Amino acid sequence: MKTIERLASTQLTLVCLGLAMVLVIAGTLAQVNMGTFAAQKEFFNSWCVYSWLGDMKVPVFPGGLTVGAVWMVNLLAAFAVRFKFQRSDTGILISHLGVIVLLLSQFLTQTLAHESNMPIELGQTRNYSESFREMELALVMTSDPQTDRVTSIPYSLFSHEGPIHLPGLPFSLVIRRFYPNAQIGMAGPGQSSLATAGIGMRIGVQELAPVSSDDEVNTVTGYVEVLEGPKSLGTWLVSSGLGAPQSFNVEGQDYQIYIRPRRHYYPFTMTLKEFHHDIYPGTDIPKNFSSLVHLVDPAKREARDALIYMNHPLRYEGKTFYQASFGKEDRLSVFQVVENPASWAPYIACSLVVLGLAVQFLSHLFEFVRKRS
Amino acid sequence: MTEKLLKGLPVFLVCLFAAWLLMGLQAPRPASPMDINGFSCLPTLEGGRIKPLDTVARTSMLLLRGKQTVRWHDRVISADEWLLDMVYKPSGADAYPVFEIDDPDVLGVMGIQQTANRYYTFSDLKPHLQEIESQAQQAEQAKPEQRSRYQTAISNLEERVALYQKLQNTLQIAGHDHVLDEVQLFTEKLGPILMTHMAKGQKPSRALMEVLQTAQKYDFMREVAEFYPVPGSRGMTRLEWTSMGQGILDSMTTVGVPPPVAAYAALGDAWRAADAAAFKKTLIEYRNWLDTKVPDDLAHARREFLFNYYEPFYKSMIMYVVVFLLAVFSLLGWTRPLIRSAFYLLVLAFAVHTIGLVSRMALQGRPPVTNLYSSAIFVGWAAVLLGIILERFYRNGIGSMVASAIGFVTLIIAHHLTTQGDTMEMMRAVLDSNFWLATHVVCITIGYSSTFLSGSLAALYLIRRLFDKGWNEPTASDLERMVYGIVCFSAFFSFLGTILGGIWADQSWGRFWGWDPKENGALMIVLWNVFILHARIGGLAKERSVMIMAVFGNIVTAFSWFGVNMLGIGLHSYGFMEKAFVWLILFAASQLAIMALGFIPDYATRRSAPK
Repeated sequence: MKTIERLASTQLTLVCLGLAMVLVIAGTLAQVNMGTFAAQKEFFNSWCVYSWLGDMKVPVFPGGLTVGAVWMVNLLAAFAVRFKFQRSDTGILISHLGVIVLLLSQFLTQTLAHESNMPIELGQTRNYSESFREMELALVMTSDPQTDRVTSIPYSLFSHEGPIHLPGLPFSLVIRRFYPNAQIGMAGPGQSSLATAGIGMRIGVQELAPVSSDDEVNTVTGYVEVLEGPKSLGTWLVSSGLGAPQSFNVEGQDYQIYIRPRRHYYPFTMTLKEFHHDIYPGTDIPKNFSSLVHLVDPAKREARDALIYMNHPLRYEGKTFYQASFGKEDRLSVFQVVENPASWAPYIACSLVVLGLAVQFLSHLFEFVRKRS
Repeated sequence: MTEKLLKGLPVFLVCLFAAWLLMGLQAPRPASPMDINGFSCLPTLEGGRIKPLDTVARTSMLLLRGKQTVRWHDRVISADEWLLDMVYKPSGADAYPVFEIDDPDVLGVMGIQQTANRYYTFSDLKPHLQEIESQAQQAEQAKPEQRSRYQTAISNLEERVALYQKLQNTLQIAGHDHVLDEVQLFTEKLGPILMTHMAKGQKPSRALMEVLQTAQKYDFMREVAEFYPVPGSRGMTRLEWTSMGQGILDSMTTVGVPPPVAAYAALGDAWRAADAAAFKKTLIEYRNWLDTKVPDDLAHARREFLFNYYEPFYKSMIMYVVVFLLAVFSLLGWTRPLIRSAFYLLVLAFAVHTIGLVSRMALQGRPPVTNLYSSAIFVGWAAVLLGIILERFYRNGIGSMVASAIGFVTLIIAHHLTTQGDTMEMMRAVLDSNFWLATHVVCITIGYSSTFLSGSLAALYLIRRLFDKGWNEPTASDLERMVYGIVCFSAFFSFLGTILGGIWADQSWGRFWGWDPKENGALMIVLWNVFILHARIGGLAKERSVMIMAVFGNIVTAFSWFGVNMLGIGLHSYGFMEKAFVWLILFAASQLAIMALGFIPDYATRRSAPK
C-alpha cells in the first residue's frame, strides 16, 4: 500500500478519534487538580503531553495539536485519493470538508485568540484590560502631569536573575532574586531582607510552589536592583502581592516600579456608569447582571453608552466584552475581553458538517422508508 | 376460545389502564374533615417563583427525608398535612420523624447509636442544635469538593435544620396561639402608638417598648421567612410578594389587617382548634379575594397543584414496567397479541409522559430541559418516541421492550433527583435564555436519548444472541440495522447540539470552545458515535463488534450526563451525587459485562451463528 493511501485510511481516522477521546478524558480529569486553564494548555494546546517521572519530564501521549495535525493529514489525504466525487457522496464530501475547516478554526483560535480581564469600579474609566495570570514589571515615569510613560518588562525577561537593559531610560535593572510564587508578610525578628530601599526592607518573603488552579494566582515576587550607570540606587522588593507601587528618582525624574497583571492598552476608554445585580425575589439566585458603560473612542469619533448583560456582550473593534464577574459589594464590574480573529471560522465549519450529515442521513432514511413500504 | 381472548388482550389492557388513568383525574379526596387541599393550592412566592403551598410542602419534605409522606403512629401523613402542622402547630410537628440521617458520625455527634431506623424527629435533634451548628460551621470552612463524608453530612443536616426552622417561623412565630388576635391587636392598637411616638419624638414609654418588642418579632419573621405568602400591596406585580412578617409590619400604615395576613392568621387558629367549618370559610373568602387581586397566580398555583397531585410521570413509569414485561413475555409465547399489547400500552404510557412533559413546560414557561431533573424526563421521552417509531416499522416487540426499559430507568432517575429541591427552579442568570435552552440543550439531550437507545438495542442483541432460543438471522440483522440507523441519528444530534452550545458560548462570551468538562462530555459522545460509524463503514468492524461498541456508548453517555457533575467528588465525600456515583459505576460495570458477552465466539454459544 502506498504511503498516501495509508495516510488516507479509515484506520488512521479511528486512531485519531481514539486518541482524541483519551485526550479529552485525561484533559477533563486533570482539570480537577490543575484548573481549566492549565489543563487546556497542557493537553489540548500542546504537541505532547508530558508526565514527571521523578525529576524527568517524559512524553507520554500526543497532545491536542499533534492529534489535530495527524487528523488533518488524514482528511486531506482522503480527499486526495479515497473519496469519490460522485453525487451519492455529496453529504460525505461536504461534512468532511466541514471537519477540515473545524480543525483549522480550532487551531487558529488556540494560537490567535487572546483573553483578558477588565475590572472597572463605578465611575472609573479604563483604557486597558489585564491578563489573568501573566505579570509584567512596570516602570512608570510620573513626572509629566499629562501622561505617564510606561515601560513594561514582560514576565519572560524578569523571571530569572540577571541584568535587564532598558534602552531609552537612564538606568538599568538587575534581578537579584526571583520567586514565581511567594508568601509575603511583615518580616519576623531575625529575618533579613535583600532590599535596601522601599517597603521591602520590612517584609519577609517565603517561597511557595507555583499554583495553576482557576481560583489561585501566583504572587510573583523578586528583588530588583536599580543601577544608574555603575552606581547602585538600591535594591527594591517588587511583588504582585504588594498594593502600591514604590518610587525612586533618577536625574530629577520620578519613576514608579511594580509588578502588576500584564496590561493591554486600547485606543478607546470605557467608563462604568451603572452596575446591576438582580436576584429572584426572596432568594439569592442571580437573575441578571448588567453594566452600563460609556464608550469613548476619540479616533473614531464614537462616544456612546452600551449595556453589557447576560448573553449580550459588547462587541467593539474585534473584541468582545462580556459580563464575567463583579465584586466590592456590587461597586465593581469585571468584563472578560476576548479577541479572536478566527471567530467566524467555526460557523462555516459547523454549517458544512451539519449540512453534509443531514444530506447523507436523510438520503439513507428516505431510501430505508421507501424499501420498507 | 383462548385465541379469541388473546386477540382481545391488547384492547382490554388499554381500556384497563385508560380507566386507571381516568380514575386519577377525580378530584383529590380530602384525607381529613379539614380542607387540606384547599390550603395546599394557595399561591405563594418561593425560590423566586409563584407556586402552590403543595409544592413547598413536597419539596421541603423531599429535602428533609427524601420522601413525600411521613409515617407516624401507623398513619401516613401527606406533605400538605405535615406543612400545616409545621407552620401552625410546630410543637406537634416536632414529633414527626422527618429528618433522614444515615451518617454514623453525625449520629455520633448527637450521641445516638445507629439503628435500622434512619428517621429522626426535630425533638431528637433539639438538644444538639448548637453542636450541629458549630460543627457545620467548621465543616463549611473547607471547600465543598474537599469536605470529608462527615463534613458534607453535618453541613447538609444543618441546612435541613435551618430549612425546618424557617418553615416553622414563616407564617407565625413558632409556638404562638391566637395569632389573629395578636396581629389585630398589633395593627389596631399598638401600631398607631408607635406612629404617634415617632411623630412627636418623645422618649420611649412602656407602651412603646411593648410595640417595639412585638415589631421585632415580626421583623424576625420577615427575615427568616422561607416563603412569601402575601401578594404585594403595591402594584401587585408577580415580584412584589412579601413575607408574613413584612405584611404585618406594613399593616401599621394601612387601615386594618390586610386580607392575606388576616386569612393566614385565621387559618392557623382554625387549624389548631380543628375547626373545619372556620377553616373552610376562611379559605373560600381568601380565595375569592385572591381571585380579584391576583387571578393569574391563583390559577397557576391551582394548575401546579393538580399536576403534583396527578403524578403523570409516576403513572407512566408503572406502565413502562408493564410494557417491558409484556414485551419480554412475547419472546416466550403468544407472541403476536403480547407484542401488540405492549405497543398499545407503550403509546398510552407515552401519551401520559407527554402530558407531564408539556404540563411542566406550560407551568414553567420554558423549553423542556432546564436542569438535571428535566433532562432525565426528556431523555426518557425522546427515547420512547424513537422506540415507538422503530416499533411501527418492525412490529417485533424490540422497540417496545427497549423504549419501555429506558423510559422506566430515566423516570426512576428523575424521581431520585426530586430530592434535590424544586424541580422547576429559576434559571441562573446566564442560563436564562429560552432560545438556547430550546435548541442547544434539547439537541444534546436528544443525543443522549438516541445513544442510550442504540446502546440498549445493541445490549439486547448481545444478550439475546446467547440466551434466546428464537434467535435467528433476520432478528439479528433487523437489530443491526436499527442500531446503525440510531447511531447515525445520535451522531447528527449530538454534533448539532455540541455546535449550538459553542455558538451560544461564542455569542455570550466570545469564546466558541473552552474545553470545560460539560463541553468535553458532549464532545465525547460525538467522537464515539463517529468512531462507530467509521469502523462500520470502513468495514473494520463486523456486526458483533459494532454492537459491542454501541453498548460502550451507554457508558460514554452516562458519564457525560452525570459524571461531569461529579468531577472533583471522590469517593471520600458523601451526599446525593456520591450515591449517584456508585450507581454510575455499577451501571458502567453492567455495560462492560454485557460487552464481554459479545466476545464469546459464535462456536461457543449453544446455537450456531445466525447464518
